[in-house]
Amino acid sequence: MLNFIKGYVRVVDKMNYLIGRVAMFTIFIMVGVMFYSAITKTFFTPALWTYEFAQFLMVAYFLVGGAYSIQLHGHVRMDLLYGSWSERTQNRWDSVTSLITIAYLILLLYGSIDSLIYAISYVERSYSIWRPYMWPIKLIMTLGIFLMLLQLISQFFKDLAGAKGEILS
Amino acid sequence: MSYEMIGLLMFSTMMLMLLTGQRVFGAIGFVGAFAALFLWGEGGTIMPFSAAIKLMKWYPLLTLPMFIFMGYIMSESRIADDLYEMFHVWMGPVKGGLAIGTIFLMVVISAMNGLSVAGMAIGATIALPELMRRNYDKVMVTGVIQAGSSLGILVPPSVVLVLYGMIARQPVGQLWLAGAIPGLVMAVLFMLYIFIRCSLQPQLGPPLSKQERAKVTWSMKFGLLRAGILPLVIFFSMTGLFVMGVTSLVESSAVGATTATLAAFFKGRLTKQVMETTLRKTLEVTCMFMWIILAALCFGAVFDGLGAVKTIEFFFVDRMDLSPWEVLIMMQISYIIMGMFLDDTAMLVIVAPLYVPLVGALGFDLIWYGVLYTITCQIAYMTPPFGYNLFLMRAMAPPEISLADIYRSIIPFVIVMTFGLAIVMAFPEIALWLPNWHYGK
Repeated sequence: MLNFIKGYVRVVDKMNYLIGRVAMFTIFIMVGVMFYSAITKTFFTPALWTYEFAQFLMVAYFLVGGAYSIQLHGHVRMDLLYGSWSERTQNRWDSVTSLITIAYLILLLYGSIDSLIYAISYVERSYSIWRPYMWPIKLIMTLGIFLMLLQLISQFFKDLAGAKGEILS
Repeated sequence: MSYEMIGLLMFSTMMLMLLTGQRVFGAIGFVGAFAALFLWGEGGTIMPFSAAIKLMKWYPLLTLPMFIFMGYIMSESRIADDLYEMFHVWMGPVKGGLAIGTIFLMVVISAMNGLSVAGMAIGATIALPELMRRNYDKVMVTGVIQAGSSLGILVPPSVVLVLYGMIARQPVGQLWLAGAIPGLVMAVLFMLYIFIRCSLQPQLGPPLSKQERAKVTWSMKFGLLRAGILPLVIFFSMTGLFVMGVTSLVESSAVGATTATLAAFFKGRLTKQVMETTLRKTLEVTCMFMWIILAALCFGAVFDGLGAVKTIEFFFVDRMDLSPWEVLIMMQISYIIMGMFLDDTAMLVIVAPLYVPLVGALGFDLIWYGVLYTITCQIAYMTPPFGYNLFLMRAMAPPEISLADIYRSIIPFVIVMTFGLAIVMAFPEIALWLPNWHYGK
């Protein structure tokens, strides 16, 4: 069992690290797309797809990159009490309270799968002039939420180990 | 159970969860998602994800990652260093002059970026060590940087006003212009405070010594003025083009980000290390904000479904029997108090949709309220125990500045800001004159 958990943590951390590093560069495409939009609008005929495409990029950016941001400890906590605890106490609390974050992610994932199935079975398109199909972006969103869930579970195992005074991976 | 009780229960559960130190987005999202599940059963399960779709459609939110990216490019590549040098040399001879110069620096950085992160980073890494070395009082200096960097969200461009504009359905251009003069008024108030305080207690902020001043020639002084060109270019390419109507909001932020990157490149400061830190930090901070907004949107939607707007209106107007002005003041006070304990972004997304319709119904100008709202946010950013500026300051400040110093440092500035808030409340023209003049109302 312990070996399985160790393996899980190692694989998930490595995978999310690599995916997050790639997602990180999406910001360049976002800036590029909007810059292109500004140029075409000012000097040529405005492009119709830029806004919606940039929106897709943004949700993909923070949902897929979310797992890596958890690894970087980028999420704020209210540290009125938390900040004054020892690392071990923090780990103890986290191994209980992170379950609420996991529960939230499960509901989020449930909703996203529902929405994805709808988008595929009804061949949903966006209401805009560009009219893109919605399933590719919804697939990416669902994937991002799923990766976030995997990462939070990995983090939970690490907290649990930390509460016992051990270190995983 | 009545709807009011459910609303109250949700709010108190969220506060309790936040106190445990769990990630803010997790605590808010959990309460929102499960409240939806219990209230509406199967139909409620879609709500957390609907928030993601709603967030996607809020396209002005695209400015957020761009401003974060731009802010880190500016602070990491240190292209603002000679800007600091400029204010340092010109303001040095005045009592408390370096602190006043730091406020000038913060105003200029605020005009280039829509968040307070950039000003904070630049202030803490460049100005703070320099001022401490020159025997400025550390509590004073810490306060100056925190207060100064908070101008980032009031002086255009401003991300907080973009978010407010989405919630209140007001044009961002007018909101940005409305923030300009109050931002400058606030900066002047800070400078007055520093000057008066340092005149009374010269040991807090000694002027530069004679020998040091003698070393600086006039040609050097004028040479340094060239540092001011870069901010002008960035300000024009971003806010300028936007207000003139050449580029749209999001396009402007992309143009600004590109300009800042090019500036860093041509100064030869765009190293691999700078790029790495910028990209990583941008992802980290964007994710933090976006996940909180995602969770707060779900929470807010449930609140909305409970009819919280009507409840609050009933509470303030009927039960408390208050006049419109009293309601407004009560709202600002409740906002500052909540801001002490709640995450500020979450507050923006949860509480603003409740308050803004009420303000409109009471007959107040929503552009003007946007400015009041932003100043209140500034105060909330700085007040303990929960404030981003406090977190950031602690992370960036040198070790000799303790948490107690940081907490103590903001007190006089919070008083000054509250005074500024009162001025803008009493004289709406301060905020409204510029947008009315430009858009010719």
